[in-house]
Amino acid sequence: MKLIKRDPAAIISRTSGINRRTFLKGSGIAAGGAAFMSLLPTAMIEKADAAESRQPTYDEGEISKVHSVCSHCSVGCGVVAEVQNGVWIGQEPSFEHPFNLGSHCAKGASLREHGHGDKRLKYPMKKVNGEWQRMSWEDAIEEIGQKMLDIREAAGPDSVYWLGSAKFSNEQAYLFRKFAALWGSNNVDHQARICHSTTVAGVANTWGYGAMTNSYNDIHNSKAIFIIGANPAEAHPVSLQHIFRGKERGAPIIVVDPRFTRTAAHADQFIRIRSGSDIPFIWGMLWHIFQNGWEDKSFIEQRVYGMDEIRAEVANWTPEKVENISGAKEADVYQAAKTMAEHRPGTVIWCMGITQHTVGNSNTRALCILQLALGNMGVSGGGTNIFRGHDNVQGATDFGVVSNSLPGYYGLAEEAWQHWARVWDVDLDWIKNRFDQRTYEEIDGKKISPMYTNGITVSRWIDGVLEDKANIDQNDAIKAMVLWGHAPNSQTRGPEMKAAMEKLEMLVIVDPYPTVSAVMNDRTDGVYLLPATTQFETHGSLTSSNRSVQWRFKIIEPLFESLPDHTIMYKFAKKFSFENELCKNIQVTGEEPTIEDITREYNRGMWAVGYTGQTPERLKLQVENLHTFNKTTLRAEGGPCDGEFYGLPWPCWGTAEMKHPGTHIMYDTSVPVAEGGGAFRARFGVEHNGENLLAENSWSADSEIEDGYPEVSAEMIKELGWWDDLTASEKAEADGKNWKTDLSGGIQRVAIKHGLSPAGNAKARAIVWQFPDPVPIHREPLYTNRRDLVEKYPTYEDRRSFYRLPTRYGSIQAQDFSKDFPLIMTSGRLVEYEGGGDETRSNPWLAELQQDMFIEINPADANDAGIKNGEQVWVDGPEGGSIKVMAMVTERVERGVVFMPFHFGGHYQGESLRDKYPDGTDPHVLGESCNVVFTYGYDSVTAMQETKVSLCRVRAA
Amino acid sequence: MARMKFLCDAERCIECNACVTACKNEHEVPWGINRRRVVTIDDGIPGEKSISVACMHCSDAPCAAVCPVDCFYTTDDGVVLHDKDICIGCGYCFYACPFGAPQYPQEGAFGARGKMDKCTFCAGGPEEDNSAIEVEKYGRNRLAEGKLPLCAEMCSTKALIAGDGDIVADLFRSRVVRRGGRPDNWGWETAYKD
Amino acid sequence: MKLLSLMFAALLLSACYEDTDVTLHKAGVYKGSEDKHAMSAEERADVLKQRFNQVQTDR
Repeated sequence: MKLIKRDPAAIISRTSGINRRTFLKGSGIAAGGAAFMSLLPTAMIEKADAAESRQPTYDEGEISKVHSVCSHCSVGCGVVAEVQNGVWIGQEPSFEHPFNLGSHCAKGASLREHGHGDKRLKYPMKKVNGEWQRMSWEDAIEEIGQKMLDIREAAGPDSVYWLGSAKFSNEQAYLFRKFAALWGSNNVDHQARICHSTTVAGVANTWGYGAMTNSYNDIHNSKAIFIIGANPAEAHPVSLQHIFRGKERGAPIIVVDPRFTRTAAHADQFIRIRSGSDIPFIWGMLWHIFQNGWEDKSFIEQRVYGMDEIRAEVANWTPEKVENISGAKEADVYQAAKTMAEHRPGTVIWCMGITQHTVGNSNTRALCILQLALGNMGVSGGGTNIFRGHDNVQGATDFGVVSNSLPGYYGLAEEAWQHWARVWDVDLDWIKNRFDQRTYEEIDGKKISPMYTNGITVSRWIDGVLEDKANIDQNDAIKAMVLWGHAPNSQTRGPEMKAAMEKLEMLVIVDPYPTVSAVMNDRTDGVYLLPATTQFETHGSLTSSNRSVQWRFKIIEPLFESLPDHTIMYKFAKKFSFENELCKNIQVTGEEPTIEDITREYNRGMWAVGYTGQTPERLKLQVENLHTFNKTTLRAEGGPCDGEFYGLPWPCWGTAEMKHPGTHIMYDTSVPVAEGGGAFRARFGVEHNGENLLAENSWSADSEIEDGYPEVSAEMIKELGWWDDLTASEKAEADGKNWKTDLSGGIQRVAIKHGLSPAGNAKARAIVWQFPDPVPIHREPLYTNRRDLVEKYPTYEDRRSFYRLPTRYGSIQAQDFSKDFPLIMTSGRLVEYEGGGDETRSNPWLAELQQDMFIEINPADANDAGIKNGEQVWVDGPEGGSIKVMAMVTERVERGVVFMPFHFGGHYQGESLRDKYPDGTDPHVLGESCNVVFTYGYDSVTAMQETKVSLCRVRAA
Repeated sequence: MARMKFLCDAERCIECNACVTACKNEHEVPWGINRRRVVTIDDGIPGEKSISVACMHCSDAPCAAVCPVDCFYTTDDGVVLHDKDICIGCGYCFYACPFGAPQYPQEGAFGARGKMDKCTFCAGGPEEDNSAIEVEKYGRNRLAEGKLPLCAEMCSTKALIAGDGDIVADLFRSRVVRRGGRPDNWGWETAYKD
Repeated sequence: MKLLSLMFAALLLSACYEDTDVTLHKAGVYKGSEDKHAMSAEERADVLKQRFNQVQTDR
């Protein structure tokens, strides 16, 4: 080392930029943010409890590259895994993948940790006298299965609850729903209930299908980007790549949220609103749109029903009223409306900030109405880009892992059962006999049995256990609970959940990790843990948020004694003696049903959604030709997939032989249906109150009917004189059927041949007459801080039976909690973790970045409570739960509002539960679950939990 | 000749930490060592900006200048690397570095510092390329495989760019033009004076 | 004790002051072992440029 005096001129340039001093100063400020841990000197960072093993990477042995898809969020990022000697040794970017172009977020970039799996559940276990004991798979299936059969005998099939997962592949999701049906119960559900069920219900009831209408990539073409109740920078980081592409091409970004999120940091306009005031805000925007004549009049005339009723309601929402209720100022609301009006087509993006409310279904419909008014539907750059949560929550929803429908949104009516019994090739009477034959509910004066009634939802399973059985519309309460790939800490009312878990006769957890379910209760017996594999240890398809179906190849063999979910389903089916019905047309190797056969089976039945053209062969061919797909249009340009959209996004009509390319942009009339065009679905009849519900003067390109038309049936094909376009064998199958039930696909083929959309060509409806609020109206949350608004904007009345359970609304809102619990409490995601967090908190690369459960609190509230940044505080909920978490004092939340992430678990009301995990399976990071203090409150249509607005109190610990 | 540089486009960085975990993943970096980290300023208030920071592989690297055992060298493509065999873990380079890049694993009793560890631009160290010993000491050598640093290759929004300074600047310039002139190439003035 | 903490505080504060007239150093000669590569610098530049265009560009 030589010391030399150097030219002082160089120093000047140094001080003008950011130098070390300002850098360190910056790091001090960042101590309030998520980066704070990584900035501490190494000595202050907690040591991981597991010894890091560094593997020599470049051994002998050929390295193979395997294509898969990230299993965290719904963007569906492509993954390239390098495998050597069966070990996942490297992860390379998948540059050619159309969704992520090689990119990942923190979670995606750390996927390879799945190949180590140190913290995984390693073999089947049960709790005996308070101790975890290892057991064999055979004993486990035998014991659990026998207990279930006993419960079935004594209490009926509805007393076993089958909670499935958005982490299943499409094939596993489909098989799981079929499994539940053959068990004989609709008590089956999954995460969609608590993430986007209100979207699915609200959006599908507006224009036919409840899914993202365009795609992440299509946001490149948006002229404005309106994000409300969503924080994609943390929840869907790779989507920001597409959002920024739109932004850099000139699209302004508007973010509306109670919090100044990491997404808001990149917005051109940020508007803060009070949690639970979304409808007043949206109507406030529409007020300006109508006032200034910015609505798309010809679009409304041609393709929207009921806008006049909306107009009448919106007229009430003057700027003063909007500001009073939502807090948004007139100038800001006007500006947002003007931006959307002047930059068309604009896209609307939402997530859980919109859905998780007692008025969630109305919120989602209000946003659809906003886009309809602006004429932004069915066009590239527009649409409702609803970002789904888990990697396959779209697929699991489509395949009906829900208590209110069979696969494909066919519902639970007799016709739906007939359809699926035909696809399954199982005698319908046999299935009927699997169900409880008694009746508990009455619909339109008709008594109906549980086979045809909505099952209990995941948001309410605890009430299915705790409620007096006389009040439950089934034979008995839930006695056995199966949490199959579902964290418990994502559901509200923690203390009651603990009580419910303890009251059960048996608790079964099927998961790669023990999950919080294994530790949050004080059971000493009757808890079973069954190790399932992750999606990297099996193969199959999944459906990303934009409806694209992608194929995953197996990266590694199952770790430890874990088994793929479909194998476990088969094992149970065998114990219950319906394995032959479950796999009648599915080849079984050993005990593993063949994935491709399952795909082919649902291809034969999913006509209503257009999941019929995505055969394993077509999906696999696309993976081999990723580079041929355009990164904006998602369309293959040349190559063997020429003309197809990536992932054959549903609807991909007809049989695979028809070679339908999939539908990138839904309801787009500028393109023929055969090339991915469409129209609003004719789902709600042809007229209502004497008014035409079919489209007027609007049809998709090349349609031979140049007007609206209903959904296509054999009858209609005959009337149109096209019957002889069907082949003889198609005719035999199609006669008397319609586009949803004709298993030959002939009806769809002929309709499309003549340019028709099989689902019809109708208007979208702005009013949903079957819903509690046909026109979306504002209702205050159950736990509101604005008592002055309750009288004018009350919630619903209590219900005697809703998804089989008594459900409270008004009786809770009648009580004033706002004095004792003055802070509005909301929740959300962190980029490092996902869902209940058991998987991600067990990954050291992620866990190191977020080591403490925290609560964001405004400096004013912190000072009032005598709390300093970084201190432990107690958060008390109005229903009795209390959690101890770290205070993060920040202006990210406004005065009177607190925010908590929901990924933590493993602490309960101040106590660490680390000792209760089976040895070596405790996640690196534990923390309190915010849902211990989150409260009652369920959407009026889907029973979605109200986790985006409640009340709490914060005090120093 | 190429001159390797990092550029973090602060307009695009969303603090998703992909760069951090990509680095951990690629090099099996142990808990407590952060070759790369994301710094957020004005956290939670308008003006919030995040920047991903690691060794910037400076021209005239200050770390090399203060090193008492002269363990630093600069490769032909401008990557600043060091030889862990002669590093004594004194910590001078940490104080000299304008980006706080050098890290020191805890080793042995009394908190004695181990050898310095830092971002290698995925270019390993002076051992034979991608030999087991190089991988163990420095992590993988992607440059030797014709690949660029994984943090940049996996960046969620392509905010972090790595490569030859000229083409990095070209790409960034085209983005700035498209945006209407808002350059935000944080740290370049400090790191690359030439 | 009070005095001590004051002195400590003064020390901390002084660390916040940046003197622009600093002594800079020039690196010595590298004393470690030589880093050899299979590819020449030119070859590497070429390969990495190709990689860059494949990976980092906005498509």
